[in-house]
Amino acid sequence: MSYYDIDSILTDAQKIPCTFELEVPGLGILEGNPGEDIKAGTRIDLPLWLGEMLSIGARLGTSRLVTLDMPDALAERVMNALKADPRTVDLRALAPHFYTLSERILEIFEEEEMVDVLSDTFKKRAAEISDQAHNPRGRWARASTFSVGSMRMNGSVMFRAAHDRAKQMRIWAGEAKRK
Amino acid sequence: MAFPLPRGITASEIAFLAEMEMVTVVPRQRLEGLELLGGPVEPLVPPRRTSLPLWLALLLKRQRRANIIPPPWLHPESLSLILEVESQHQDYKNSFSPPPPLPGQPSVRDHGLEPTVRPQYTLDGNRYYAAPPFLPQNSAQTVISSRDLPALPYHWVEVGNMLLDAASDDLVDPDQIRRLLKDLREVRMAKMRSGVDVLDDAATGGGGVALTGVGAMELGEERGFLAGVVDGLRKIGASKEQARRERLAEQRANGGYDGTQDEEEEDYMEF
Repeated sequence: MSYYDIDSILTDAQKIPCTFELEVPGLGILEGNPGEDIKAGTRIDLPLWLGEMLSIGARLGTSRLVTLDMPDALAERVMNALKADPRTVDLRALAPHFYTLSERILEIFEEEEMVDVLSDTFKKRAAEISDQAHNPRGRWARASTFSVGSMRMNGSVMFRAAHDRAKQMRIWAGEAKRK
Repeated sequence: MAFPLPRGITASEIAFLAEMEMVTVVPRQRLEGLELLGGPVEPLVPPRRTSLPLWLALLLKRQRRANIIPPPWLHPESLSLILEVESQHQDYKNSFSPPPPLPGQPSVRDHGLEPTVRPQYTLDGNRYYAAPPFLPQNSAQTVISSRDLPALPYHWVEVGNMLLDAASDDLVDPDQIRRLLKDLREVRMAKMRSGVDVLDDAATGGGGVALTGVGAMELGEERGFLAGVVDGLRKIGASKEQARRERLAEQRANGGYDGTQDEEEEDYMEF
């Protein structure tokens, strides 16, 4: 994750649900009523970078400001769907940067099972992406929820990698025409 | 994207490297010896076979000054044999057909036999075995031993394509060769892609994908994708890996010294 990596910046901006543990004076602006206080126990969606900062006390052992919850994109329901068939879930609709988000979440929560499920998903979908990249007009591209448009960011980068190389190779071999 | 070229090596760059391979030609005109950067080239005397770098051979071929003798593997019979091994043979269901054996390194097939290639000596008198790309993998052999099964050299896609392109009249049945090369590429690409399933082990240490016998062009084509998959898996598995390492460190602190754990610890140092 580089400092200038636009995907990691965008991941930072994704919202995750947080519950306030303490009453915070004057922070009502986060909830939409400026000037008010935030009560303890309020649930607000905060950007990842802010939530992570506020919850850092949890790891230091001092009293923390907020507790983080699992975002909807990585809820139990989604995990079950991924376990059933990794290829049919529209990950991009769940979170635009699904994998980078889950990387960050897994750093915070210890979820061994989720790591397994996500690795398996990643592998299965990568194989599918590769097949599509080599044959973009195949039967998959036409009738499937798994179109290029529904791929999450990481996937479209990989699609490009696989597709451009194959195309370059064909151009070199004289099978395809240069643009 | 700021830098227009993709990371890694492009197809034309790989082809450029392949042009260094030596091929055998039969000259049709006299040419004096050339002092090239890659080493001197013998004078060309018409009926005598000579080894030339591929680029020079192609140049002379285009000027109709020489005929190229195709390498032994670029023959419909050899190619269909390799294709059969690649697609029908049980042992090679998931792996690639073996590359040509290196000199001084007996392959599995000729177990117990003396290696045919003699070691060479440097000017200082040190013994060495030539390694690719200085092996005559693409020149026509004068002595063909029966136990040398045809094998695809490292630059098979490039050399095959370039020879089909420029010297198809020197090949035996070029259309058949073209078809077989295409079939081979597809079979091997499919194998490489199915390897993604086992990439998980490669990312978390321990396992790996065997890419023995894969050609330069094939590697160049899949490099971006495979590296992306391994990197993604590594990132997802990072927290698990971290936890495992902590657990191991804890065990070590509690259980005292144990030889096996020490070994594993050393493996991690590579990351």
